[in-house]
Amino acid sequence: MRGVRAWLDERLAFSDVIDALRHKTVPHHRYSVWYYFGGMTLFLFGIQVGTGALLLLYYRPSAAEAYESVQFIVTRVPFGWLVRSIHAWSANLMVACAVAHLFSVLFLHAYRRPRELTWFSGVLLLLLTLAFGFTGYLLPWNEVSFFATRVGTDIAAAVPLMGRGIVRFMRGGDEVTGATLTRLFGFHVAVLPAIASGLVALHLLLVQRHGMSVPPSIERQAVHDPAAVRAMPFIPHFLLRDLFAWTIVLAVLAALSTFYPWELGTKADPFAPAPAGIRPEWYFLWAFESLKHVPPTIAGINGELIAVAVMGAGALAALLLPLLAGHTARARRAVVWVGAVALLFMALMTGLALSAAAP
Amino acid sequence: MRSAWAALIALALWQANGSAQAVDPATAFADDVHAAAGLTCTACHKAQGPGSYAAPARTAIAPLCATCHSDAGYMRRFDPQVRVDQFLQYQTSTHGRRMAAGETRVATCSDCHEAHGITRVRDARSPVAPLNVTMTCARCHGNPSIMKPLGRSAAPPTDWAASVHAAALLQRGDTSAPTCAACHGSHGATPPGVTSVANVCAQCHLRQAELFRASPKKDIFDAIGQPECLVCHNNHRIESPADHWVGVQEGAVCAQCHDASGDSAQAIGTIRQALDGLAASVAAADVSLARAERAGMLVDAGRLALRAAREQQVQARVLVHAFAAEPFNAAAAEGAASARRALDAGEAAFRELQVRRAGLGVATLLIIAFLITLWIKIRRLPDLPSS
Repeated sequence: MRGVRAWLDERLAFSDVIDALRHKTVPHHRYSVWYYFGGMTLFLFGIQVGTGALLLLYYRPSAAEAYESVQFIVTRVPFGWLVRSIHAWSANLMVACAVAHLFSVLFLHAYRRPRELTWFSGVLLLLLTLAFGFTGYLLPWNEVSFFATRVGTDIAAAVPLMGRGIVRFMRGGDEVTGATLTRLFGFHVAVLPAIASGLVALHLLLVQRHGMSVPPSIERQAVHDPAAVRAMPFIPHFLLRDLFAWTIVLAVLAALSTFYPWELGTKADPFAPAPAGIRPEWYFLWAFESLKHVPPTIAGINGELIAVAVMGAGALAALLLPLLAGHTARARRAVVWVGAVALLFMALMTGLALSAAAP
Repeated sequence: MRSAWAALIALALWQANGSAQAVDPATAFADDVHAAAGLTCTACHKAQGPGSYAAPARTAIAPLCATCHSDAGYMRRFDPQVRVDQFLQYQTSTHGRRMAAGETRVATCSDCHEAHGITRVRDARSPVAPLNVTMTCARCHGNPSIMKPLGRSAAPPTDWAASVHAAALLQRGDTSAPTCAACHGSHGATPPGVTSVANVCAQCHLRQAELFRASPKKDIFDAIGQPECLVCHNNHRIESPADHWVGVQEGAVCAQCHDASGDSAQAIGTIRQALDGLAASVAAADVSLARAERAGMLVDAGRLALRAAREQQVQARVLVHAFAAEPFNAAAAEGAASARRALDAGEAAFRELQVRRAGLGVATLLIIAFLITLWIKIRRLPDLPSS
């Protein structure tokens, strides 16, 4: 065994990496609990990859067979129901963890120099996570996902000049059809994972390179009270705590998947009228609800176009936050306020959409 | 609900009477199909002076309409497929025969189609469009002050409003549901005779009619002059049939002719028992599947079996019209077997759920044990130095 290890170490030099990790420390302070959300998101991403690969063994990406293949998975394949439920629930938990991670980084000002690239890759990863959710939603080819995808892709039509082109690109035609399913499947299992894997690797590399950021308030406190920040060894202190958090996530996933198996619904019928109460996944509800409250025209301009433009500008501003935010304490307070208002707005809109959908 | 529809009919009747008087002929004619075809007032009216026209006598209205509507060559100019037998049919109708005898209170063309605002039947505004035709008939046939002097009941429209046919039309919006004209005819409107009732009902209820004609009841009903379907189902107030109609107890339709003694009572009782058993099996299976579904289980195979059971239940209910043990018993047994499969599927799903929960319980215990171990390990780690 020792010989094998030496043989591998000679070629891979992994003892250097282990040695570096043994000497690596993580700042420990009263906000350090938020550090674990990044690890939880990564853990859920791993579960997504694993369960997604298992689902691929049986799933068939065509309008004629998609629904039946998922039905086969959840009724006939041993533990298929569990794999599919874990895939669906972990996708939702992953979005929740990624959002919590992003806002914690924002409120703790971890985007500051020299971590701009870490922030950029993180925001892009969150957008990719949402894209994973959007593309995966249609794959069971059920009634709700079919009409929600139709509504969701329609929103892109508001973009001037390119709108119809974007819609056609996403749908593989003018309407949501089997071509849309095949296309979104391709993105879900090939294009997005390839991009996400690269970005995850970059994100982790940057986190290792720069280490965890200490919030400015803790840095100031540490000047007078050195105990405000302590150095926690990555191995074993941080790693064990990370493992603890992952195990809790696993327990939650198992409970959700057993007690609330993800429903399959009825098969999509493109010729049927849209049923009442069509809505997207919860993480798109705020945008969906916001669009409902936008007047048809604002100052003679299409209201939906303005709303889409504002959302696009918001996403761009979020991406470029490290470049836009100043370095003063006042600028940081402004970032906290803007982030809090954005979070409150999204929570409010989501709450409105959920209350409207409640029986 | 049905009394609500009866009230609606009454309201429509009152409104229709009021609105019919309020319409100005010139205004109504502007939207008339004849005006669109280029006809003017003088096509039907003799001019008495500038802007003054004589109304045709009621007995002359149908022959006047027939001068064009019975002329195939003329009508073809407007619609190559238009029918031209309305007047011939009208002459055979109760309305037409009484009108020919000089009774001018009966309906003529303008009473149903309006005089000046005539629209095509397929136009939803037409008083004889499927959704309106019963209201139109009810203007006279639901009005006791018109019907009583003619020696007729004014109950049919309100009876129809309480029927399954009215529910299909007015609640489900099924415009193929039968209205007055579907059973009585439109231009040739007349009550169907005792021996032709089954033919009228068979327009839609073909299978039931076939079974009835092949059953021993057909000859018996013909011999005693009973109006076939109507004996059990009534004529206008046709209610949704129920399993408890079969039986010899009070309220059951069979009890109109059969009492509790004799072989027929036993045969009726056997059929009723099978119907009740099938209904109970279907209900039990539905409860079982719903319970599994509420718990998040997918029971599509069970639902498929339940759908088959329901179809066989419908089939068995139809086969009651054969008035014989077979083929009813076979269909009922098949339905019961399907319901049993659905029930088994529901119960199997629930057992599977219990297994899953037990599995989760074991997994949760293992996870908790792992978490406790981790926690103990973390607590035993050396304290952190200051940064």
